Amino acid sequence: MMEVDAWENSSDGTVISEDDFQDRKDDEDPYSLGSIPKMQFRKDVSKACWDAEMGMAEIIEMKGRSDSICINACRYLAERGALLLLDVNHTPISLRAIYEMVGERSSGCCWESFEAYRHLKSLGYIVGRHGVPWSMKKEKGSCESTYPQGTQENNGVAQRDLEENVSLTGLLGNMQINEVKLAFDVYLPNSKFRKSSPGDPVLFHPPLNEELEDLERKCNGIPLKFCHIEHGRVSFFSFNKIALPILP
Amino acid sequence: MGPRWKDNGSKATALADPMSNIVARLQSSLIQSGTCGFLSGCGVLLEISHDQVGLLNHACFGRPVTTADTDTNWFRLSLEEAFYMHHCLKCVEIIGEDKSPKRDDELWECMKLKKRTFLEFYKAYSHLRGKNWVVRSGSQYGVDFVAYRHHPALVHSEYAVIVSSEAEGHENCRLKLWSDFECTVRLSGSVAKTLLVLHIKSNENCTFSPSCLEGYTVEERTITRWSPEQRREDQPIVKAESSKG
Repeated sequence: MMEVDAWENSSDGTVISEDDFQDRKDDEDPYSLGSIPKMQFRKDVSKACWDAEMGMAEIIEMKGRSDSICINACRYLAERGALLLLDVNHTPISLRAIYEMVGERSSGCCWESFEAYRHLKSLGYIVGRHGVPWSMKKEKGSCESTYPQGTQENNGVAQRDLEENVSLTGLLGNMQINEVKLAFDVYLPNSKFRKSSPGDPVLFHPPLNEELEDLERKCNGIPLKFCHIEHGRVSFFSFNKIALPILP
Repeated sequence: MGPRWKDNGSKATALADPMSNIVARLQSSLIQSGTCGFLSGCGVLLEISHDQVGLLNHACFGRPVTTADTDTNWFRLSLEEAFYMHHCLKCVEIIGEDKSPKRDDELWECMKLKKRTFLEFYKAYSHLRGKNWVVRSGSQYGVDFVAYRHHPALVHSEYAVIVSSEAEGHENCRLKLWSDFECTVRLSGSVAKTLLVLHIKSNENCTFSPSCLEGYTVEERTITRWSPEQRREDQPIVKAESSKG
């Protein structure tokens, strides 16, 4: 048995974790050129026609695809100069107009869910709308939005998060706040469509316990991640149930 | 993040003398001497023998109170520690501020009056202690508790613990906004601890006596950051049971 003195006042030394990749990444200057993901500007520009009623764009010309894509995918491709989005009259829709559409409820997506979508896509993940069955022939880049649960404070937080000149005040106030929904199914690149981490709700507030349990049931054992976006910074969290061991 | 033992012999030392044995020795010594503590503010003061100082330190209950008096040894217990030693280990009597010994339910009411979140915090504390984890205050890390696998002299704490509950009086839970999570996960990670949230719930809403505790459950969840940058195709596919992001 150790001496009495040895047990007194043992302090728990603090250790800076050197393995925290997120920390190193976060300390990088977000404005330095080196940290901006390199955009590949494609030579072949695809074309799609926006269907306002459906809230999707019908592909007219795109290599390897012939289906519909959502506003998130449209924005993602348009920002890279890879897509020319047209309206019903086949008039090109400007990037600005696409940005305005992102904020509209009818488009089915929201600004924050796009940030999550873009972050994962730029890392090479395959991002699809939750619950939509995949086919080996097609790649779907569709998405589904989640709605914030509204308290005054949460709405305030969401508004402060906005950098761009798009006011969501009215939109958030009018939104029906019901349940938290899973937004994306996320697959590792080249994973042959095995589900790795689906269920990325984009939440304006941290999940309540009941919401956690409900979402986990829907995921059916597949890992669930929560995404928080603030000032363009995308963070993902896992809220995993564990069973702490009983020690001897 | 597994246990980080402080030096080479620590793990063996811990295995040779498990915390359950250490606590049992403390319990038996205090029962034998009929130790009595008294409520004072948000804690309990214990007057103990020199040997018992070692036992309390070894089992990680309370903090010594340094005085000039070398004949008497004083320890101060938190409300949770004191109630655990009284109600669960049954090795300490506690005298109230009115100078009379307190029964279980009287002490319970007293402590709930002193601390609104006492029920949930005690449930969390006793849950961890019941599994033989060492539980200390986490205030220096901005959390409620820190949990160690054995004595802090042997091992670094693995978990930074937050107590969560939907009960009334628990509105001051430290994790309400995303910024709370970002901050607490970052802070916990910088001191090499996993953030553990203990969610206390009950279907019955009974609070009037310690026996109500049986109706409460504790759900354990870790909150970890997931870095998609580290989950490329050459990484193993994350299994459903994995607790790490």
